[in-house]
Amino acid sequence: MINVLIGLGVALFGFVLQTAIGGINRKIIARLQKRRGPKWYQEFIDIFKLLSKRAISHGWIFDFGVIMALGGIIATAMFMPVTNNIVAFGEYDNFFIFVYLIAVGMLGMAMSASGSGNPLASIGVMRALTTMLAYEVPFMIVVLTIINLTGTSSVGEIALFQQMAGNNWFMIALPIGFIVAVLSLMGMLGKKPFETYIAPAEIASGPMVEYGGKQLGMLFIMHEITIFIEVSLFVHLFLGGAPNLAIFLVKYFSVYTFVNLISNVNGRFKIDQVVLFFYKWPLLLAVIQAVMAIYLKWVI
Amino acid sequence: MANLELILLVVLLSGVLAYLGGKIHRVIGTIITIFVSGFAFVSIAYFGFNDILDTSNGFLPLITFDVTYLGLYFGIIVTFIFFMVSFFNPYFIDKYKYPAVYSMLYLFSLAGVIGVFFTNNFMTLFFFFELVVWSSLFLIPLGKCKHAASWYYGFSAFGSFALLFAILIMSVNNNGSFEIASSLLAVDGGNRILVFILVMVAAFAKLGAFPLHIWLPKVLTNAPDPVTSVFSGGLEKLGAFMAVVGLIKILPSGFVIDVLDMHLSHYFIALLGALSIVFGTLMAIRQDDAKKLLAYSSMSNGGYILVALAIASDTSFSGALYHVLAHALASTAAFLAIGAVKRQTGTSKMSELGGVIHKMPITYLVYLIAIISMAGIPPMGGFISKWLIFQSVINEGLIIIAIATFFGSIGSFLYVFRPLAALFLGQEIPEIKNIIKEAPLVMQIPLITLSLLNIFTGVYPRDILLFINKVAVELGINPLEVSTWYVKGNNGYLNPALISGIFGVGVFVSYIIFIVLKKSKKVTLMDTYTAGNFVYTEELLHYSVDFYAPLERLYEKYIDIMKNFYNSLANKVKEFGNFVKYFFFTNKPEVTVFWIIVVILYLLWGEIV
Repeated sequence: MINVLIGLGVALFGFVLQTAIGGINRKIIARLQKRRGPKWYQEFIDIFKLLSKRAISHGWIFDFGVIMALGGIIATAMFMPVTNNIVAFGEYDNFFIFVYLIAVGMLGMAMSASGSGNPLASIGVMRALTTMLAYEVPFMIVVLTIINLTGTSSVGEIALFQQMAGNNWFMIALPIGFIVAVLSLMGMLGKKPFETYIAPAEIASGPMVEYGGKQLGMLFIMHEITIFIEVSLFVHLFLGGAPNLAIFLVKYFSVYTFVNLISNVNGRFKIDQVVLFFYKWPLLLAVIQAVMAIYLKWVI
Repeated sequence: MANLELILLVVLLSGVLAYLGGKIHRVIGTIITIFVSGFAFVSIAYFGFNDILDTSNGFLPLITFDVTYLGLYFGIIVTFIFFMVSFFNPYFIDKYKYPAVYSMLYLFSLAGVIGVFFTNNFMTLFFFFELVVWSSLFLIPLGKCKHAASWYYGFSAFGSFALLFAILIMSVNNNGSFEIASSLLAVDGGNRILVFILVMVAAFAKLGAFPLHIWLPKVLTNAPDPVTSVFSGGLEKLGAFMAVVGLIKILPSGFVIDVLDMHLSHYFIALLGALSIVFGTLMAIRQDDAKKLLAYSSMSNGGYILVALAIASDTSFSGALYHVLAHALASTAAFLAIGAVKRQTGTSKMSELGGVIHKMPITYLVYLIAIISMAGIPPMGGFISKWLIFQSVINEGLIIIAIATFFGSIGSFLYVFRPLAALFLGQEIPEIKNIIKEAPLVMQIPLITLSLLNIFTGVYPRDILLFINKVAVELGINPLEVSTWYVKGNNGYLNPALISGIFGVGVFVSYIIFIVLKKSKKVTLMDTYTAGNFVYTEELLHYSVDFYAPLERLYEKYIDIMKNFYNSLANKVKEFGNFVKYFFFTNKPEVTVFWIIVVILYLLWGEIV
């Protein structure tokens, strides 16, 4: 029971953390573009405003999908280890839970968006799923290498493995795989050039087009927690996790800001370019890294 | 106490009875199929679990029985699928030209399945194997497509002859005995490899795996809806059964790839399984017919079973058998749901449907649960099997195969979502809006039962995994470590009940957030953002044709390669036939007589000279 509360705490922490860091990043990007930018807590204001407004609904599946989406993502976040000690369900923080339980949330959102009856939403969902097909496979091959090397698929234990004396962070131990993982992370977060599925100027924000009020607010919360899950997964897999909260915050902030900075100097790919891109270089590099690490044992 | 022979006889005789009943009134025959398949399932499952199935034989000559855990596992699954699907029979019977024959053949193929799984004699196995092929062969054209039946027959015959050849080789090595256990031990050396290849050909043909997959989408699309479900959930699993025989029991001692620590033969099978996954996924993504889409997904899932069996470790074996169960339940539920939609609307083409959810919510939920399981998402059964399979693929470090399994798993999100978006969700198409209603109550019985089982297999897999452990021990594989709540894989623990529970907590929290906030205003589906355009027709606002067009464009050049290969093969065979006809069977009888004499002389050369 106490574990469930810890898990809910982690989900709430993830929401607050990512919303704050997202706001700070908006400020950073604004300064990069010689603007002043919004206040750092602007995203909180947006979300709470949306939650308080009266909205429209396109039928029960529209609402049910939103509930399922947020529920699935909260459930996924509850398994996420934050530091070595703050983890709700010790040995069950299996990597595949994060990949597949997060998919429940995605499915819920896709279902709700399609249920709205807006073709732009369906196009957005199509693009999101196609992007997922692109970035997920190279990332999984890199993670396969990591799991094969460490012998465990528990995210917390992979982090501990890297903290042991004599082992480098996988960012250094598997440099090629790290590059692939950064690219995949950009796809996961929907950052440019892989933000084709949101593409506000083309398809009116894609899946989100019909939402307003509390539904949109809940999907914003879901989106923030999803980013929290993906970035902290990255921190644990490649940056050696975190022995305490301060280190976690530093690592989290650097990863997110780094990815955000890269993305802001890019244009946008077309959806077929996204697929071709990921199946050309990242997949090839991931396979090379896997062969080097697993068969030839070349690990730094 | 239950005698297997009696069960078999009851099923066979009821087949005849169903035919006679069907002659009086067509629904009578189908009701007999429900009761008899239910009887077969209940007796095999109940007495099988309690280890009191009687194998003595008194009536049928030459047919002997044996109960193995492997046969029992498959037998229970497949008879259950037959039982579930039979509830659909009464509602589809009026579409067939020969309703009485349908009921009879349905039970005959059930009898064939029981025979295959519970015999200890290869000749009997072959006989029942053929009984399944022939009875299902005549079930397919009842969907009014003879073309599909001929493709099915071609590939099945290829598989059957390969199996017969393998059986005869084993029998020669085993002093003419056809007993399964001793025959499998008797062959060795080059013969063992040959037998392995032949049995795997039979398995591939039955499972519809690459490269013997062409028949599968044709049959599954064109056969009557209940037959489709039986094929996908039940009869295809005969192929998985043969694959277990080939990959685990025969296990030729060939060249071993050192770096992977795997037999070359097994790696090759795993590679073909991987190709099935990729090919099935890519083809499923571009289909317009929901049944054809699910047919290709069956092919892709067959690939997972092959990959897992070929790895042949403790986790992968449990994963393979669990996947047999999970996929049987999920695909049957999905096919039945689509079948229900097809019955109400008259089509399963996604481009012609839309917004079915508003009239058929229960069918929609059934389909949703089924696809969650098919895509391997928790908390459904498919997640457990895919987790086990991934564990073993990663542990063995099979990179190329891993690409295929990951690709198939993510790709399955894409294709299973298509019917959901295009057929169930989206705008309500006015042509079907007023004519459809929810499926009848009797049809909902199997739909709901299958959904509950999909959830159950994903939440509490312990008992099923323990049963699979018995099968594993029987085949000389290490059992999986299973406790009440967790499953231990190669590199981690899985606690399915915890995941489901936490998912429940997450949804509960989210529901609380939703309910405490202000109520939304209901608007119609047509009341959407259209960027300032005025659109008054539902079809224009329904995005369902060529859903993944940008992705499809990347590979649409290559999709016909296998089909062209088989067509050119068929042409070559035809040319060869013409050649033979030209030389040997001319209009002049003396030429024919001459060649006959030459052949006889050749055959009897040693005797005469």
